[in-house]
Amino acid sequence: MVGRFRWAAMFPDEVWEHVFSFLTSDADRNAAALVCRNWNRIERRSRKRVFVGNCYSVAPTVAVRLFPEVRAAVIKGKPHFADFNLVPSDWGGGAEAWVEAMAEGWPNLEELRFKRMVVSDDCLDLIARSFKNFKVLSLVSCDGFSTSGLAAIAANCRNLRELNLRESEVEETCLNWISHFPESCTSLVALDIACLEGEVNASILERLISRCSNIMTLRLNHSVPLERLVGLLQRAPQLMDLGTGKFSARHNPQLFSRLESAIAGCKNLRNLSGFWEPGLTYLPAVYSICEGLTSLNLNYATIQNPELVKLISRCKNLRRLLVMDLIEDSGLVAVASSCKLLQELRVFPSDPYDAAEPVSLTEQGLVAVSAGCPMLHSVLYFCRQMTNAALLTVAKNRPNLTCFRLCIIEPRTPDYVTQEPLDTGFSAIVESCKDLRRLSVSGLLTDLVFKSIGASANYLEMLSIAFAGDGDMGLHYILSGCKNLRKLEIRDCPFGDKPLLQNASKLETMRSLWMSSCSVTLGACRQLARAMPRLNVEVINESGRGPLVAQPDNCPVEKLYIYRTIAGPRTDTPQCVWTI
Amino acid sequence: MELELGLALPSSDLMMEKSTFCKKRRFDEVLDENTVTLPLFMQREEDSDSDRGFERSSEELNFGGGRVIVGWPPVKLSRRRTSCVKVNMEGIAIGRKVDLSLHDSYQALFLTLYTMFPKKQHEEEDGGYNSYKVTYEDEEGDWMLVGDVPWEAFIKSAKRLKIITC
Repeated sequence: MVGRFRWAAMFPDEVWEHVFSFLTSDADRNAAALVCRNWNRIERRSRKRVFVGNCYSVAPTVAVRLFPEVRAAVIKGKPHFADFNLVPSDWGGGAEAWVEAMAEGWPNLEELRFKRMVVSDDCLDLIARSFKNFKVLSLVSCDGFSTSGLAAIAANCRNLRELNLRESEVEETCLNWISHFPESCTSLVALDIACLEGEVNASILERLISRCSNIMTLRLNHSVPLERLVGLLQRAPQLMDLGTGKFSARHNPQLFSRLESAIAGCKNLRNLSGFWEPGLTYLPAVYSICEGLTSLNLNYATIQNPELVKLISRCKNLRRLLVMDLIEDSGLVAVASSCKLLQELRVFPSDPYDAAEPVSLTEQGLVAVSAGCPMLHSVLYFCRQMTNAALLTVAKNRPNLTCFRLCIIEPRTPDYVTQEPLDTGFSAIVESCKDLRRLSVSGLLTDLVFKSIGASANYLEMLSIAFAGDGDMGLHYILSGCKNLRKLEIRDCPFGDKPLLQNASKLETMRSLWMSSCSVTLGACRQLARAMPRLNVEVINESGRGPLVAQPDNCPVEKLYIYRTIAGPRTDTPQCVWTI
Repeated sequence: MELELGLALPSSDLMMEKSTFCKKRRFDEVLDENTVTLPLFMQREEDSDSDRGFERSSEELNFGGGRVIVGWPPVKLSRRRTSCVKVNMEGIAIGRKVDLSLHDSYQALFLTLYTMFPKKQHEEEDGGYNSYKVTYEDEEGDWMLVGDVPWEAFIKSAKRLKIITC
């Protein structure tokens, strides 16, 4: 056995390191690390980028020790359903332990990306002081910090290239944090502050942008008025990615033409977003660069037809479109004929809670785009009605789908023509789309659809289920099938203890499982935790029934989060969370 | 309780001009055919008399016709897409909509509500508005009393309003 791998020892470590440096994907490096002990040692010692999909899957100090040469780290915290307020705000995902370990063991860290983590101002302060060559800070869907923390980053990170706060919640404690970027700062390439609620001093921003001649991405928040946008664009005509601030102003032809020419001057513009409170009179100012756009995000823009369609139809080279359901079926038909290169489409509900909303966005729009856009592979679609026939058509048109997330707003809505469950429709999707990686199902669904998913969705990595299924078999089909499943999130389904216990070992092959408002009991959690020491079984009960340890086995579990880990039970659980 | 003269004609509403987005909805509401039962203000959690074991706590009946489910539909609330929220008043079948971003304080909001639901709709009550409370549903699905949190925090988290009798 030893002889077979002697060739690995023929070359000095540095040679293998150099070879491994050509492996860019984490999966490839992971595979190389499993070949033999030598390769494992050499690979991990030379690894520059590390991805931690669950911050609790490994202890920070262990990760830092195992991979001493890391320059870029991505760490993710809370479960996805935290985005929809299903996870208690004090659940965890704190970044301190990670930042402290990194400050200690990775002094040469250059890039840090957190997602759904709670990052305090102290953390930001520590980051600002600890890494001499810090270049990239990305806080996506994070919270726990304020603009004071941002001021520390601005002031101390001399070589900061990227500051990205996408969809984070930031307290406003320091009014002029932008002014903390020193005059000597010229390194900024990307700045995304669209999520900030407060005022951003546009004059200071203008001066900052002026001296950062390499700025490529600038996403403003709603406080930056149209008048100031002109100045910013004039100083950064090389921009590739622009998020506007407020996109309306009093009717002013001079402002319009200044804006129009400033935008036209940005010949490299590929990504456009923002459009807070859009005024129809100013929309045509962006027409000149529409044809060059590859990505358009109108997620927050309450523009209706016909102006909305007029804008999008000009964007003939669009790869990615995010839009509200104000586009309606007719608008999507126009997209299908204008945007032939479209790869990703997301349609969001403009009025998600209004049950009596008359709708002109139906399954027809989705079918139209599936027919007209041959490169479409990623779909997120909110609507209020669906048919199996439509889903079958989509499946037939687009076997290249890799991501299909359909949300029919009213739970358990059947096929509105036949009144049947949507089993056949979703089954067609998984059977036809052999490369499907991500799927969200909705509407009226029985266990049958899960049988199809379990059997056919061989590359599925993430599955979201809500208000679906008849009983335990539904979950059993999924857990006993779906060979590549990594993340499973379920809410309000009649799935109970049996499928969990029957498929306990499956759970160790996945990153995580979330189940809320299902039929799982405490007893099953206890059994599972006993049988699977490398899983953390976290039970969340917010109704204050008293300590879980005293509850009987048949006590129902409100929310359950199970994830694999080599770090053992975590020590920062709040009152409502119990690691069994 | 039959429909009272709560069918205030939209044209008389001061808010009409300011928010075209709200305007579009109001006609639909006036012509709404949803039969609405007497709205019941339901207490959430701490429902000690109904210890019925495992209940689907994530669904609740709402006045105004729709069901309210926590975290559904799965949209991120961190950025409000429209600042209009529905307002219902106990005993009045037709709801209204108010644009929170057009107000800068609780006082301003209460003034608007007073205009939307004029006193003659509930003449039987004495003490005028002292016998009413305004509540709101926050992003976590809990019903809170309007006025407890700072105004900025309120407009970020309020999903809908309900005026109830004390």
